[in-house]
Order: sequence, then structure tokens, then C-alpha cells
Amino acid sequence: MKKISTALFAGVLALGLAACSQKPNFAGSGSGSGDYPSRAVTMVAPSGAGGGWDQTARSISKVLQESKLVNQSVIVENKPGGGGAVFLAEYATQEAKNDYKLFVNSPPLLINHLKKEGNSPFGYTDVTPLAQLTKDYGVYVVKADSPVKDLPSMLAELKANPTKYTLAGGSAPGSMDHLIAILPAYQSGIDAKKLKYVSYDGGGEAIAALLGGNVDMIATDASAVGEYKKAGKVRVLAVTAPERLGGELQDVPTLKELGINHAEFTIWRGVFGPKEMTPEAKKFWDGKLKALSEHEAWQKELEAKGWQSEYKNSDQFTAFLKEQDQQVLELLKALGMSK
Amino acid sequence: MNTWEFLYNGFLVALQPENLIYALVGVLIGTAVGVLPGIGPMSGVALLIPITSTLTAGTTPEEAAASAIILLAGVYYGAMYGGSTTSILLNTPGESSSVVTALDGYQLAKQGRAGSALSIAAIGSFVAGIVSLIALVFLAVPLSEVAIRFGPAEYFSLMLLGLCAVSGLAGKSMTKGLIMTVAGLLLATIGIDNVSGVARFTYDMPILYQGLEFLTVAVGLFALGEVFKTILEKESNDGHIVKIGRVTPTATDLKDSAGPIARGSLLGFFIGVLPGAGATLASFFSYILEKKLSKNPDKFGKGAIEGVAAPESANNAASGGAMIPLLTLGIPGSGTTAILMGALIMYNVQPGPLLFDEHPQVAWGLIASMFIGNVMLLVLNMPLVKMFAKIIETPAKYLIPIIIAISFFGVYAVQVNTFDLYLLIGFGVIGYFLAKHDYPLAPLVLGLVLGPMIENNLRRALTASNGDWSVFVTHPLSLTFLIIAALWLIIPFIMKLRGKNVVINEEG
Repeated sequence: MKKISTALFAGVLALGLAACSQKPNFAGSGSGSGDYPSRAVTMVAPSGAGGGWDQTARSISKVLQESKLVNQSVIVENKPGGGGAVFLAEYATQEAKNDYKLFVNSPPLLINHLKKEGNSPFGYTDVTPLAQLTKDYGVYVVKADSPVKDLPSMLAELKANPTKYTLAGGSAPGSMDHLIAILPAYQSGIDAKKLKYVSYDGGGEAIAALLGGNVDMIATDASAVGEYKKAGKVRVLAVTAPERLGGELQDVPTLKELGINHAEFTIWRGVFGPKEMTPEAKKFWDGKLKALSEHEAWQKELEAKGWQSEYKNSDQFTAFLKEQDQQVLELLKALGMSK
Repeated sequence: MNTWEFLYNGFLVALQPENLIYALVGVLIGTAVGVLPGIGPMSGVALLIPITSTLTAGTTPEEAAASAIILLAGVYYGAMYGGSTTSILLNTPGESSSVVTALDGYQLAKQGRAGSALSIAAIGSFVAGIVSLIALVFLAVPLSEVAIRFGPAEYFSLMLLGLCAVSGLAGKSMTKGLIMTVAGLLLATIGIDNVSGVARFTYDMPILYQGLEFLTVAVGLFALGEVFKTILEKESNDGHIVKIGRVTPTATDLKDSAGPIARGSLLGFFIGVLPGAGATLASFFSYILEKKLSKNPDKFGKGAIEGVAAPESANNAASGGAMIPLLTLGIPGSGTTAILMGALIMYNVQPGPLLFDEHPQVAWGLIASMFIGNVMLLVLNMPLVKMFAKIIETPAKYLIPIIIAISFFGVYAVQVNTFDLYLLIGFGVIGYFLAKHDYPLAPLVLGLVLGPMIENNLRRALTASNGDWSVFVTHPLSLTFLIIAALWLIIPFIMKLRGKNVVINEEG
């Protein structure tokens, strides 16, 4: 009897949990005038559960509701497929006027639209950028016992022999890790097409390959390497930030310090709305997301996740995206991988 | 402090009443997640993270982290226990790691031995869980060193060995087995190639960029294929009922399973330690190994209890093995461990080389709780077997709609698009015709799993070596795997030449 009641309890609990995470969503296309938002808003993570976009969407939804910044519920929905391209194709064509559906994204939004293979037919100009909320940077990492002591000497060797070192990252050629990996070499006048880049399935596997001595250098997110550096397993050669980072990476030079210009790269995460968003809804989110970025609960959430805060409003964000779009295009062209 | 003292302190953490409850809740939800197709361990853990942070609010960060990871890890290995249930009863694998279990498990269920199959799966999972934990306690650090030494060349040779072993899945005709293997390898090339970034066979449709989802294909081939067969051949849908025999395994079952469970546990554990290899591969390898070692390999695929014991032990052991790179290196070997790692980071606990020094309470508490959780799972699952086994008594006219519903729900819950539902139906039809004409389905599924790994690691190895093929024989581990693979293929021929009666290919 006891066992049955335990099982029942677990069943009820599981149901309850499922119900909490998947509230009914009757949101259709955008409604007319009135007090926006008059019903629940959907925040789409164009990936499966658990990834960076998903976590960001869930954090935003949690803080918006807990802090009572938004009185309607904000529901997270996962739309996996094609690295976000599947969702975007549907969103840009069928939901261009739906004020009640927002989504989270990061630089692949730009990259996927510009690259030739695996192209996403829609880009940032097909949606309304609302706010940038977090930032991260790329870092160049070698194993602690690597003969490579600093980036300039490595680049000099690569200039003489572009296949001397194997670079690696956690995503396919033509995607973000690859672009970051070749960025300093490209800006130093090395033919990016000749460099050896090996892709792994995610940053974790790339770090494993580095620690196992299977590759010479990896490009990955700054937030992912602190612990390895602290443990003395790796040496971080440079960071793509405009100025030095704090904490574990404070002694890591920026690319600019090393004399490599035009080589900043910000890995942002931000929120977007549909292209034909009503001015009312756009104004609403511009204000609310700013308030969110300044809210204590959001700062706490960021700290818990190990993310860094950087807020840009809709206009600043759009201008920034235009700039990064150019940079990405330039890098993809250098690789011969642009559309 | 030595290992024993750390472990003792870990048990003190895990035995705190609230942590016992967290472990219980975790394994219960995990079992449910495993049984329900669609909610895999990965999404199960991901969806619970926000809830654990609410539950653990108010305790110190260190305690909260320990409690949360105890619950979440419970879901992870609980799901490995539950995953076999639908495979065995309905031929519908809920997780990719229990696809192989369906091969013999479903046959056993059809023969009225569902109870034996389910309880052997639970016992196997339990033994494997404990074996992998003991190994985790004592071998974590040295093994993690070996695991990262495993480079692209070693992976390639290991996968090649796996591909040679496909003969073990081929059934009657080797030719048909090879055809299916190649078909699986070909299907695996769909999508954006991870090495060159080139889109292959996608026809500019974003829905195909990430390739075919393994689970969709497997559920279509196995579950819907079987459904179509039952409908079209009117096999047993006039209310015919399969009787379940006894629920507990017989002494013979236990005796037959002891070896496979032991070998499955060890093999699964070592494969689990390798980042990226994972539980699915472990289950395939252990199944093939058992068939190779068996005195009468013919009964595999027709309801061999070893065919359930081995893969179920292996997938559970693999999930234990996967904790090693996660905890000692901070390298998640699978999607689910990546999410567990995210959860730890949320509590400001960074898995990695410093975890055991900086957060012994979390690390050892987790390990100790996994011992307790495994015992809980065994105690919970044995009575459930009786209940679940009754499902098989349901007349086909009710069972078939349920299988269809579960398959569709499961696939949609993972993929969230209708394209995969069409794919599911398509593979159901294909599965029906293939099975009807005696084409074995398992090699196709194995090809689909191995394809990307073989290809990516081959090309990674060659990129790093500047196109020099000798890397595969100059790396000692890689060479060892290649030699085993060669022997695997050559030995049966030699034995045949020497007049021994060995089946190589019944079609000649």
C-alpha cells in the first residue's frame, strides 16, 4: 500500500511538474490596439531544452514574472531544428505581425544567414532586435605544456607555415568558433583558407581534445575556460574583448594589446521580436527589458549562470548587429564560405 | 583523508533526510521519464532545473548544490532504468540507448516472458550501476587521463571495430545485413557535415540541416513497423491475448544473465568514460559481444534473455562512466551530462579538475547518493514489473492505438515539428517492408549511430596529420582496435577453411 501511495505521489508530482513547465498557450497572431500585453507572451528558444538559448529564455521568463515586471505570463517554447533556421523561417514568414511571440538568439543569427552552406534564408533584418542582455568573448587556449607561449609568436609561425598547428572549436566550419579561431590570423594577413581547423561536437569535446593533446589550440567561450586555467591545465593566449576581463582571466591580454586590430568579437545574447511589431509592443519591451537588465533579480540570475551583463537597447543593438554583420561577412569571405 | 573517509562523509551527506527524499523524487521522476517516450533524460533534467532551485532555496549554497545534483542525477540514471520498459513491452524505444533492448526484449514479451525480461533489465541495471560507481570511486582520476588521450584516430578505429561487429546483428543473411548497414551510413550523411560545414542532401531545407533524428528513425522502424505488420497481417488483433507467465525471473534466466550483466557493466562503463561515445553505443557493443560469445547465437533476436541483460546493464554502466569526465575534467560526454554540468555551474560549483578539492561535499555526496538511489530503483522497479507486465495482456485492438499514440507523442515531444511525424510514418512503412523481407533493422540503426562518428573522427585525424594515413597504425591503441577488427573478420574464415562448422553467410 505504501509503495502504491509513493508511486501515486510521484505520478502526481511529475504531472504537476510537467504542467508547470508547459502552460497552455492560446496565443495566435497579434491582436489590435488595447493594453499590450493582454495575454501570455511566448519566448521561443530556437533549440532543444538545455542549451544556451534555452537557459537564457528561461532565465528571462523567470525574472520577468518573479519581479512582476510583466503581469502576463511569459512562456518558454522550444523550437529546435537547423541551428535555429527552422524556427526563423516559420517566424519571419508566418508570424511577422505576432506581438506575442519573441525569441532569443546569439551571433549564429547573423552567421547562418551569411554562410553559403546550411544557409538560413532569414537574418536579423527580418526581425526586430529588442535588446542585448548578456555578453561573452572568444578566447584562444593552448595546453599548459604547449610549446606555444604567446599568440604573436604562434601567428608568426603560422604565417610561415599555415598548416603547422591544428586549430579546433566546438562547432562546424563556417560557424562561430571557426570564425573566432581564424580572426587573429586573418587580421595578421594569413590566408585563412590554408589554416587547419577541426570541429568538435560542442566546446566540452573541444577542450577534451586540447587536454588530450589531439589539437594545438582551441577557440572557445571565455566563460568556459576559467576553471581549467585555475587548475593549471591550460594557458589562455588572448581574448577578443575590447578590454581585459576580470577574475581568473585578468592577466590575459586582449588582441588589441597584442597589436591585432579590428579583432574584437562579442558573443552576445539578446531578445528579438517580429519584423512588423507594433510600435506599442516594441516600446513596451524596450522599456521592460531595460528594467529587467537593471533589476537585482536579473543580476543574481546572471551571477548564478556565470554570464556577464551587457545591455543595449533596440536602436543600439540594431546598430551593433549591423557592424558585426559586416565583420562576419568579411571573415566568411576570407574563408570562401560566404553566400 | 583517504578515499574511504571521503566516501564515508559522502554517505553522511547523502543520508540526510532531505537528501534521501531528493534522491527518491529524482529516481521516481527518472523512472517516469524513462518509461514515457519523448521526455528523454535530457529534457527531463533540463525541465527540472528551475524546480530544484526553488526547492533548495533557503539552504547554504553548498548544501543546495548537493541536494540539487542528487535529485537531477537521480533523474538521469533513473531514466536508464525506465527506458527498457516500452522497448520490451511495446517495441517502442523511449530513449536511443534502449533501442537494442527492443530486439530481444519484445520477442520475450511476445512469448509471455515480459516479467522475466523486465526484472532482468532492472537487476542488470542495478548491478551495472553499482559496478560503475565502485569504478567511479576508485578509478576516476586515472581513467579520466586515459579518456582524454583518446584522440580522433583511436575513436575512428574503435568505431570501425563496431562496424565490423555489425555481422553480429545481421540475422540470416550477411548480404542483407551489409545492405542495411550501408543504408544506415548513407542516411547518416544527411545534414550539415560537421567537418567541412557543407550541407549534404538537404536540398536547402532548413529542417534537414541537423540530419535525421535517430529516435524518429528507430521508433518508426521498430514500433510503427510492428504496428503495420499487426494490422496488415491480421496477426493477432482478434482479441488474442498474450499470457504473461511468471513475473520473477527463473533460476535459468538469472544464471544465463549473470555473465552478460557482468560483461555489459564493464564494457558499458569503459565506453561511457569516453566523451562522445555514450550509452547507445555501449548497448550496441555489449549486445554484439554477447552474441559473439554465446554458444547458440541463433536465439538472439528471437527472445534471448542475454540480449536484454547485456545492453540494459551496459547503458546504465555507461551513464555511471560518463560521470567521470564530467566530474574530474568538467567535460560533459553526452547531452544529459552537459545539462547536469550547467546545473552545477548554476550553484557556483564548477565541475572540473578542482571539484573534488573545492566541493567535496557535492562530489562525494553525489557519489554516495547514487549508491542509495540505485538501491531505491531496484526496490521500486521490481514491484512495478508486475504492473507493467500486465500491459502485454492488453488485446492488440487496444494496444495498437496506444503504441501509435505513444510513438507520435514521443517523437513530437522531442522534435516539435510535423516533419518528423511524416518521417516517422515513412520509416514505419519502410520498417514493415524490410522486416517482411527479412532485412534486419538493427544494422541500419547502428549505421546511423556510427556513421557520423566514423566519418568525423576519420577526417579530424587526417586533418591533424596533414593527410597521413599512418596515424591509425602509429597510435598503439588505435592499432590494437584495428587488429581486433581484422581478427574479428578473418577468424571465422580461417576456422571455416580448417573445416570447422562456422556460419559465415548462410546464403553462401
